[in-house]
Amino acid sequence: MPSSSGELSADLENNRRFSDLRGVQWRIDLGILPSSSSTVDDLRRVTANSRRSYAALRRKLLTNRLISKDESNFRGLVMDNPLSQNPDSMWGRFFHKAELEKMVDQDLSRLYPEHGSYFQTTGCQGVLRRILLLWCIRYPNYGYRQGMHELLAPLLYVLQADLERLSEVRKQYQDYFTDNFDGLSFNDDTDLSYKSDLGKGEDNTGIQKDEINDNYLDPKIQTIISFSDAYGAEGELGIVLSEKFMEHDAYSMFDALMNGDRGAVAMANFFSHSPSTQNGLPPVIEASSALYHLLSIVDLSLYTHLVELGVEPQYFALRWFRVLFGREFALEDLLVVWDEIFALDNNKLRGSSENESEVTFWILNSSRGAFISSLAVSMILYLRSSLLATENATSCLQRLLNFPADVNLGKLIEKAKSIMNLATDAINSIPEPIHSGGPYEAGKPKVHGHGHSRSLSSDVAAAASLVPESYWEEKWRVLNTEEDRKQVGLSKQVQNRIKGWSEKVKMLTKVSRSPVTRNLVDDIARSEKNEKLVSGNGGGEEENSSIFSDPVSPRGLASSNNMTNNNDHENETDRSSVASNSPVNENNPCLGPSPSPSITSERYCSTEDIGSPLPVSDVPEEDLFLKEVKNEDIIRKPMLNLRDRRSGKFQWLWMFSKTGPEGSSDKSEPTTSYVTDFNQKNAVPSSTTADETEKPEVVDNNNLKNLAQSMLENIEVIESVENLSKDTLEALKELRKISNLLSEM
Amino acid sequence: MVLVLAIGDLHIPHRAADLPAKFKSMLVPGKIQHIICTGNLCIKEVHDYLKSLCPSLHITRGEYDEDSRYPETKTITIGQFKLGLCHGHQVVPWGDLDSLAMLQRQLDVDILVSGHTHQFKAYKHEAGVVINPGSATGAYSSITYDVNPSFVLMDIDGLRVVVYVYELIDGEVKVDKIDFKKTSTATL
Repeated sequence: MPSSSGELSADLENNRRFSDLRGVQWRIDLGILPSSSSTVDDLRRVTANSRRSYAALRRKLLTNRLISKDESNFRGLVMDNPLSQNPDSMWGRFFHKAELEKMVDQDLSRLYPEHGSYFQTTGCQGVLRRILLLWCIRYPNYGYRQGMHELLAPLLYVLQADLERLSEVRKQYQDYFTDNFDGLSFNDDTDLSYKSDLGKGEDNTGIQKDEINDNYLDPKIQTIISFSDAYGAEGELGIVLSEKFMEHDAYSMFDALMNGDRGAVAMANFFSHSPSTQNGLPPVIEASSALYHLLSIVDLSLYTHLVELGVEPQYFALRWFRVLFGREFALEDLLVVWDEIFALDNNKLRGSSENESEVTFWILNSSRGAFISSLAVSMILYLRSSLLATENATSCLQRLLNFPADVNLGKLIEKAKSIMNLATDAINSIPEPIHSGGPYEAGKPKVHGHGHSRSLSSDVAAAASLVPESYWEEKWRVLNTEEDRKQVGLSKQVQNRIKGWSEKVKMLTKVSRSPVTRNLVDDIARSEKNEKLVSGNGGGEEENSSIFSDPVSPRGLASSNNMTNNNDHENETDRSSVASNSPVNENNPCLGPSPSPSITSERYCSTEDIGSPLPVSDVPEEDLFLKEVKNEDIIRKPMLNLRDRRSGKFQWLWMFSKTGPEGSSDKSEPTTSYVTDFNQKNAVPSSTTADETEKPEVVDNNNLKNLAQSMLENIEVIESVENLSKDTLEALKELRKISNLLSEM
Repeated sequence: MVLVLAIGDLHIPHRAADLPAKFKSMLVPGKIQHIICTGNLCIKEVHDYLKSLCPSLHITRGEYDEDSRYPETKTITIGQFKLGLCHGHQVVPWGDLDSLAMLQRQLDVDILVSGHTHQFKAYKHEAGVVINPGSATGAYSSITYDVNPSFVLMDIDGLRVVVYVYELIDGEVKVDKIDFKKTSTATL
């Protein structure tokens, strides 16, 4: 290849030069290969050196014990016999190695069973075993800990992926992969004769073979080809993408990852149990507390919630850190995450290597470490709502340890990057310029102070503003799940309910008279309808309301007993069906004419039905209504919205909240819309069902029972609100009695 | 790399109370794959202790053994080697090499392990190897009072066996080793 010794294309950006060759990119990021504008030759030389050192290590540590034993001198026997307790003896090492091997094999047999076709093959397992054993023997103070194999496996995987890419390219561009041992690219077909052009023209796929020129190639393909060249610097040992030396490369990557390449974050630290010098805690515990510290800055309420429940960070953070989130994400996702992690620099930001005491959290002392902690925090935040909803530590831990599989990785990483600022701040009390603030700010020198404080406060503010909404929303949703599922006009309802809920809470505290009066209920019904309909239904109702406005208004002002006069149609139904003239009653087709005990229940029933107008409100069918409303039976028709009974639950609550001040003021206008809704509601069922007489009664009983049920539930909900006045409590008792009556009917 | 412990003639509790402390500290479970015991333990507790060191335990009957179910002789194949086991009081004259060689030919083994004399011996002759691990507790024998505690550990590796001898002389553990190689077809 003509350009094998030249510079790589200048248009490739420095940092992410090899974004399609993860193995090479990660090797650069981890510090094994030189980065930034080094030539292919440099890469090859460094690769060759690292491979040589690995080979020497392997030879030294894994040679057969017997061979060396022959040369051992006599002094050794007391020490070197098989039963020797001396750990330095050859036999001691032999047994130690046998133990390590047993542990490693145990772990390897369970490695990535879902990708077993690669990881469970004997070849791959052998490579992994050798690498792990060698590393553990080389660094005896760490020993082998479970989890190291999971750090190593993706490294081997990306090397393999690179090789596969290479073979793809090879197949595709096989013309370019000629063996150019003379430094020229020869093709057997072409002679040096001038006839070649003419003769070979038709055979080619458009490429003149004697004009093979790298300039036609995509620069990435160019690099791949140059990486597989066997005749560059260092010959075969220097082939950057080499299958033969995969083990060597994987070992160097693993070593660099564990040692942290003299940076702040060395994975090996997560595995050591010995307490660090500064504060007597094992490093992983310290890292976990850094994590919680960061969380407390970003989201104090979640932090306090977790602390109150007694969820210590290391319960889940241990696993997250030790295998660098390997267990939380699928392999493909994990590779993306690790791309981000490795892209960040691992140099220490503060404190020279001698004086470590300046830094409170060692893990935050580099961008890479800061990103790791921020990613952990963003993962916790992702689970925020479900964590806040649980009340015991075990389920919290369960949620944290079973991170959902279908997660939006991009968002998670973005969030992590935004928290990163806070992370690096957390170790500094004094503002200081921080270099390399991360790839998303590449090129811009990051100056602390203003920028940071702004982002800090905005982050905190953003976090704070998130708190009340999401928490209450969650609570609300929990209570509303059933209705939500069934509702058609879901969004409107929810909005309304939320408003109603908060208002209800407010109102309850103000209630001075017994809410269980007909007046009250009527008012509530009306105003509640108003509220909802006005807010929810927008323009559709207006024309209808104008038609009925005149008849309606007097009703709105009158007390319950006078209310029936607004609308002739409605009056009829009122009088015929219920003793009391509550407008609410009209909405209750489910209850036929029945004696007074059922009045209140009717009311409630109807209030529940109030919810139903909304879904059908878009269908104005006044004509139908005018004709049919006279028919009593229509009222009794099984409502479309029987299933909305539960949704009506909250309208009923709303009614409660709408007492007093609101009741009287809004009556005139809203009642119209209420009326129209009622119209429509009635119209629809009438159009749908033909059978009028039989069904209602059966349905009635069921309805009553459901009604009682929902009443009870509502009562319970209300009772859970704090600071209920005595009146309220009495009222609730009354309601309970009523619901019991209902259920007996 | 199979480690085989050859031990015997402990005579616990009659002639000795227990193994010497230094021996006991060396014998830990997990390292040894087989134990062959010449006999005269004498009680079940010693049997259990040896069993705890290694589950694969082979014993032949000595004249003072309280468990009468042990066989008189035993042959085991470990790797490429055939080992024969016998207490030795049956072979008269006691400890005589030629008689032991006769027994070895009878059993058709490469290595014969026998005891009873309470003296460590390791002979190689054209038919094979004869090993006497001595008495692990240093119990007196019918022949002599002056007995050094000793036992033998064999490292069988392919066609080669390395015999480590552990003796307690003057309170110190002394280790010696002997190499034996087997030619593939013939016996040692």
